[in-house]
Amino acid sequence: MRPHEETISVGGTRVHAWVGGQGAPLLVLHGAGGNRGWRKWMERVAERYTVWAPTHPGFGASGDAEWMEGVDDLARFYLWWIDAARLGRPHLLGQSLGGWTAAEMATMSPGAIDRLVLAAPVGLKPETGEILDVFYHSPLQLRDLNVHDPSAVPEWEELFGRAPTPEELEVAERNREMTARLAWKPYMHNPRLERFLPRVGNPTLIVWGREDRIVPVACGEQYRRLLPDATLTVLERCGHLLPIEHPDAFARLVLDFLGGKTRP
Amino acid sequence: MKLYYFSEMPHHEYPDEEGAHYPSLRLAFPNRFFDRAKAASNYQRYLTEYELADRVGFDGLMINEHHSTPSCVNVGANMTAAVLGRTTTRAKLLILGNILPIEDNPVRMAEQIAMADLISGGRVLSGFVRGVGVETWWANANPVHNRERFEECHDLIMKCWTEPGPFRWEGRHYHFRHVNPWCLPLQKPHPPIWIPGTASPETAVWAGQRGYTYVPFLVPFDIARELFEFYRQGAAEAGRTVTPDNLGFLICAVTADTRAKALEAGRHFVWRMGPTLRGPLEWFSPVGMRSRAGKQFALKARPRSLASMSYEELVAEHFIIAGTPDEVAEGFALVQRELGIGHLLLEAQESRMDHATTMRSIELMGAKVIPAIAQV
Repeated sequence: MRPHEETISVGGTRVHAWVGGQGAPLLVLHGAGGNRGWRKWMERVAERYTVWAPTHPGFGASGDAEWMEGVDDLARFYLWWIDAARLGRPHLLGQSLGGWTAAEMATMSPGAIDRLVLAAPVGLKPETGEILDVFYHSPLQLRDLNVHDPSAVPEWEELFGRAPTPEELEVAERNREMTARLAWKPYMHNPRLERFLPRVGNPTLIVWGREDRIVPVACGEQYRRLLPDATLTVLERCGHLLPIEHPDAFARLVLDFLGGKTRP
Repeated sequence: MKLYYFSEMPHHEYPDEEGAHYPSLRLAFPNRFFDRAKAASNYQRYLTEYELADRVGFDGLMINEHHSTPSCVNVGANMTAAVLGRTTTRAKLLILGNILPIEDNPVRMAEQIAMADLISGGRVLSGFVRGVGVETWWANANPVHNRERFEECHDLIMKCWTEPGPFRWEGRHYHFRHVNPWCLPLQKPHPPIWIPGTASPETAVWAGQRGYTYVPFLVPFDIARELFEFYRQGAAEAGRTVTPDNLGFLICAVTADTRAKALEAGRHFVWRMGPTLRGPLEWFSPVGMRSRAGKQFALKARPRSLASMSYEELVAEHFIIAGTPDEVAEGFALVQRELGIGHLLLEAQESRMDHATTMRSIELMGAKVIPAIAQV
């Protein structure tokens, strides 16, 4: 089924979104790499849920938001956006930077969302290891660090198989700038988040790639420990971009969880 | 045209092959290669060289600041200015400069510069810079705020110097409720402000609007002229006239008793053109630090990186001037004719250029070059 594009403005900021599927709404928040469009895993999940995949302010096709200074600003913004898009009480799924944003949203307004899926979210300071400094590395280095095994990534050719156009480079640069606005310091985490997470009672699925070289799996354990109703699933032979690296397995986990089957 | 002596205070005290193991000499080259004893004697040596430059008649002593790099271990420009404020007597102390965007307390900075001005009897020329990316990493300052912080830090420092305290400052990046510095510059209303430039047209316009002295560093003449045009644009917007006194330029220069000796000494400048600038783009220009316009101009300003040029090419294009006193005087006059500047900044010591060579060069500059270009 083909998704369509929508633009929904709130608070003076224009947000572009991919929308597709049927069923209860699932809001999907992308990572620092930007909105990669309508992906294979979304196609699967959209069979049973209406997937709303907006592009964060300051990223890609969305408007500027130079006023934002942290992920808490972005989280607050998306709580407005849920209302503006009339999503009711959607399920919320976030990956990496989007996962952190989703977690912040849940701490701000747990009643505004239904179930929560966190895919390798940043946001917590790792008890062991460190979150890779993405700004210190080139986009090409990051492309390779993001996955465990490029040859196993079904959409590799489509996503990374050719040199980016000047327009794509411009977007990538803008995405990085906005990420710096949101997460430069403290780098990719909120020291107070661990105080807030125990107040989030929403059923939560945390998914991590065993070979994640960007955010240590230890952070997954920390999220699981801090969230009262969370399970952690670790995918083997998988890096940081897990929905891209293992789209089928990831979609299955999400569908099972949203359908209620994996409730502890 | 006024001449300024400048040393980066390098710490080239390790085997080069060790440095080559790392992606850059900046940030990544481990400081276990920092030799404390050599650094201690080098600081004495470098300060002695500055003091000689003062005695032989240089108009100014330029001091800069970098961090986390052996290319420059002058990690506190205001500290050096204070020391030289006591040990020199006549030359201006050109701090070029304090790195504003990474400063968290502009009030303290305003006080420190004021104190150096007071100690030196009002000889400070206060340069403000945006810094290279390396300093942004060192300070963990958000590069997307670099220009905003530069401007706001500047505004607060100027307010400290020009408006009576106590006052309050609630900006976007700086917040102080009780500003009342009990240390103000001797020069009224404040020391002259200098701004260097390498590629950013916005900076040139901004400096022109304010009538600050603007100094491109090591760019081809045609690029310097283009930057001066941006400066003139800014000056015109503010109704200011531009004189040579508003414009400066920085090159590397050394002289010796013979041409051969000078050319040999000049080779030490190659280190600062290549090896010390080697490293990932992200380290020197982190995301968001430069505007789109700045980025495009930077590409144009450096069609060829300095690192890719041979020593002979660097000499041919006047990035380095090395020769007998007569020859360097001629070279300096040529730069003046090409650019119409009133200030020529000489990076006059680098890498492993030894003390004796450096001292002799300073001596000859004083005895022969400075008098020769007095009328230029």
